[in-house]
Amino acid sequence: MFRRLKWIGVLGMMLLPALMICAEQRFPPPDFESGYSLPSPSTPPTRCLWLQYADAGVFLAALAVAVWLIYKKRSRRGLFWLSLFSLAYFGFYRKGCLCPIGSPQNVVYGLFNPDYAVPVTALIFCFAPIAVTLFAGRAFCAGVCPQGALQDLVLVKPVAVPLWLEEALGVVPFIFLGAGLVCAGTGTGFVICRYDPLVPFFRLSGGTFILTAGAAFLLAGMFVGRPYCRFLCPYGGLLRLASLASKWRVRVTPDVCTQCRLCEQSCPFGAMREPAPAESNPASPAPERKRLAWLLALLPLLIIAGAWAGSKLSPAAAQLDPGVALAERYARQQSHPARYGLMTPEALSLDRAAANPGAVLASAADMRHRFDLACWLFGGWIGLVIGVKLIALSVRSGRTDYEPDRGACVACARCFTACPNERVRLGLAPAGGESAPS
Amino acid sequence: MNTSPVYRAFALTAWIAGVFCLLVCGVMIYEHFAAATRDPWTSPRLLALREKLAAEPKNAALQKQIRQLDLEFRRKFRQRLALDKTGGWLLLGGALALVLAAGQAAALKKPPPLPQPQTGVRELAVKRASRARWSLAAVGFAAAGSLLIVRLGHTSVLPANPAAWQKLSAKAPEAPVEDAPALSEFQANWPRFRGWDGSGASAPASKAVSGILWRAAIPLPGNNSPIVWGDHVFISGGTAARREVYGYNASSGALLWQRAIENVPGSPPKVPEVPEDTGYAAPTMATDGRRVYVLFANGDLGALDFGGSIAWTRYLGPLNNPYGCATSLAIWGNNLLVQLDQGGSRPAGSKLILLQGASGRVLWERPRPVPASWATPIVVEAAGKTQIITLANPWVISYALADGNELWRAQLLENEIVPSPVLAGGLVVLLSPSARLLALRPDGAGDVTRTHLAWTSAENVPDIASPVSNGELVFTVTSSGMTTCFQTRDGKKIWEKELETDVQASPGIMDGRLFILGEHGPLVTLQAGREFREMGRIPLPDKFVASPAFAGGHVFLRGMTNLYCLGPAASGLAQQP
Repeated sequence: MFRRLKWIGVLGMMLLPALMICAEQRFPPPDFESGYSLPSPSTPPTRCLWLQYADAGVFLAALAVAVWLIYKKRSRRGLFWLSLFSLAYFGFYRKGCLCPIGSPQNVVYGLFNPDYAVPVTALIFCFAPIAVTLFAGRAFCAGVCPQGALQDLVLVKPVAVPLWLEEALGVVPFIFLGAGLVCAGTGTGFVICRYDPLVPFFRLSGGTFILTAGAAFLLAGMFVGRPYCRFLCPYGGLLRLASLASKWRVRVTPDVCTQCRLCEQSCPFGAMREPAPAESNPASPAPERKRLAWLLALLPLLIIAGAWAGSKLSPAAAQLDPGVALAERYARQQSHPARYGLMTPEALSLDRAAANPGAVLASAADMRHRFDLACWLFGGWIGLVIGVKLIALSVRSGRTDYEPDRGACVACARCFTACPNERVRLGLAPAGGESAPS
Repeated sequence: MNTSPVYRAFALTAWIAGVFCLLVCGVMIYEHFAAATRDPWTSPRLLALREKLAAEPKNAALQKQIRQLDLEFRRKFRQRLALDKTGGWLLLGGALALVLAAGQAAALKKPPPLPQPQTGVRELAVKRASRARWSLAAVGFAAAGSLLIVRLGHTSVLPANPAAWQKLSAKAPEAPVEDAPALSEFQANWPRFRGWDGSGASAPASKAVSGILWRAAIPLPGNNSPIVWGDHVFISGGTAARREVYGYNASSGALLWQRAIENVPGSPPKVPEVPEDTGYAAPTMATDGRRVYVLFANGDLGALDFGGSIAWTRYLGPLNNPYGCATSLAIWGNNLLVQLDQGGSRPAGSKLILLQGASGRVLWERPRPVPASWATPIVVEAAGKTQIITLANPWVISYALADGNELWRAQLLENEIVPSPVLAGGLVVLLSPSARLLALRPDGAGDVTRTHLAWTSAENVPDIASPVSNGELVFTVTSSGMTTCFQTRDGKKIWEKELETDVQASPGIMDGRLFILGEHGPLVTLQAGREFREMGRIPLPDKFVASPAFAGGHVFLRGMTNLYCLGPAASGLAQQP
């Protein structure tokens, strides 16, 4: 069976260059007699439709293999090689695009802009990992995400992040997700893609800010496991939610937990949680219940306060849109004329605005209106995220064994072989040996 | 401490790789900041030179200096790109070595875990949750603070309420709008393909047309039809190498000027290949009495004044049309309408554009859900609106001239759409080539396919020539010369007649006479009435595929090599070189 799979894998690798050869632009650019070759207007260059479907097929197959490796084979080694393949294919070959992390923006942009039809491949990349997570946990993060694979590669000496800090910073991805969807919905841009700090490494190119941020993440990633996934990735936030409701979950031990804590040491992502002991004094939870009640009452207030604060952000946030920024510059020029150099971007944009100011201002007014609503929602979303997290931190867990946190576990399978029972199952340790204390 | 040689080898490799990465990073960072001084957009040296050139625009030495400096910046920019690329790969390799070596060294150094049973788990969990809540609150405050800083750092000068927006828009200076000639002037001339309204019918003129008044040589080939304004006749001609506009005197046929349309910004020097039958100058020009407008198959659009000086040019390409662009320009008031339908069997960037004639500024642009077509749009006043009627397989689509918004559409067309529509008796009469003659009521909204079709006829349906109407009757001519007369009201056939001549040009009506131009001559004149009556035939010594133009009682014809003016019996043929 394994040999057959190996041959299929080899055949697949041989077919990859053929796919690249077949990639051609639908509308060939004009030929220049000077020999100048026209650069592609997009990165990565556009692909013909069937190659996009082929990408989606590879993606779905990788997801299926990841689930198989986690649940059937329980193989860290297999996941490692799968993540290397994903890094090479979805990262360096496909240059990080299309990837699930940015795909929710395509969906939201399509929802709010009827002129844009969401590509089927974008829908597959967006919803397939979520669907898989609802059944099998974060298999996408484990072996298919190139960003995750890159961070796994650079992890040299993991240090534990205090759990209280981990929990607090865990809301940042949801805030980033909200900001990204606001920008996509208003048509301003895909900021999740623009500010993805790891994609520039796949493309070997990027702006100063984003390259610096990427380098910082990778340097931090040498000591903190997957910092981008845990503290910034908006899609990771979505998968974290989906994983909480997943039908199956990763189990460290194939047998009874011996509570040896070896798995706790093996997880570089701080996802392992200790058992929660039963309360010895039944009267003591009263203050906790009181706090929970207060927080539940506080939740609507936090949402309203967030929405109000968000609405105040609207005039500034709208300037993220190039059309609004141009209208601002134009209006400012009317009241306080500034002198720009000849043929500078500022001067050229002002010329463009002056040619049809009515249209520029009308477009800016429309965008401002969109941002008014979007910022209300964004502020309310931040309030909701913080409120729900506060409530979650006030609810007691009923864990009896050492288990990975359902949301935080990226199903990387590192903890499997740390468990003495798993080692017995694999024949790496003798059954009933000293390594399994009672 | 681990002192094994393997560990030391890994540790040493990690150190060397780390130093290598730092060196490469250092060089790249230095280059990055050094390059900022060579940015052509911000270089004080280049900006100063440009300012100086603005004051002395004809200073050739200054121009040369700017070009050299610009070239130097570009060279250095490309060098930097190459350096970045090499540096990127070196860094990637170094980082990989660093990570692998450091990882192995760390693994060798790591003591095996020996966890102890945990005590006080409950207290620890409570303490941790409490800390987490406080730190979460801190994150919330940090987020609020960041947003506050963003808000304070980006003050807006745009007004908050709609009334103030309108005030600001009103204060904004609009581009000057020049007066358009009166409608009567458009009607008296032949300002676009098939006359001012695209109907093929001319203003009444009682002159007889019995012979050639003059003929004039055309320098370059083209299939576009003549347009006429006052004492001027305009046509265009073009090849892959050169594309020109010609201005003739309408009275004498003298070539007043010829002007090449070249060096259009953005237009590539190598033009697309176009089938010989279509050529590079198939679209008929248009004029608003102030300027003439021309479009070529390579996507070059130009405006010239009546003296032949170029007012503006724009590149609308590259055009993706399997037979080459042949849709003519349309004019309404002082605005120019360009229909650019593109794609083989599927839409590929088809669009409709309205431009301001004086400046070439785009007033609006609308995408079209259709592949390439070759019919010319008409602009009509119908149902209380100024509508643009466009044809392309499979849709007849009407757009509002004011804003380009779609008014209605009907899925009625098939095959390759060449004939243009006409407005006759309140109906839009159009052809689905070789399939049906159709009449539509232009007062609908949305999809009117099933609701607004007045009548259809499948008899003697042309594939190239457009229909023509005098209001009461509609006339069609097939490529083989079969001429058919229909009643406009209900599509009933009144008469048909085989003219025994091949026809490619669209027919025209002037002064109650129907003119049908044979591909190799003659010009057949029929009575435009309910009974067939041939009034005469004028033999012509050329091949004709362009439609005739009618103005001032004269008929202007474009042959393959000559431009002809026909009118009252000529005593002697005037021939211009």
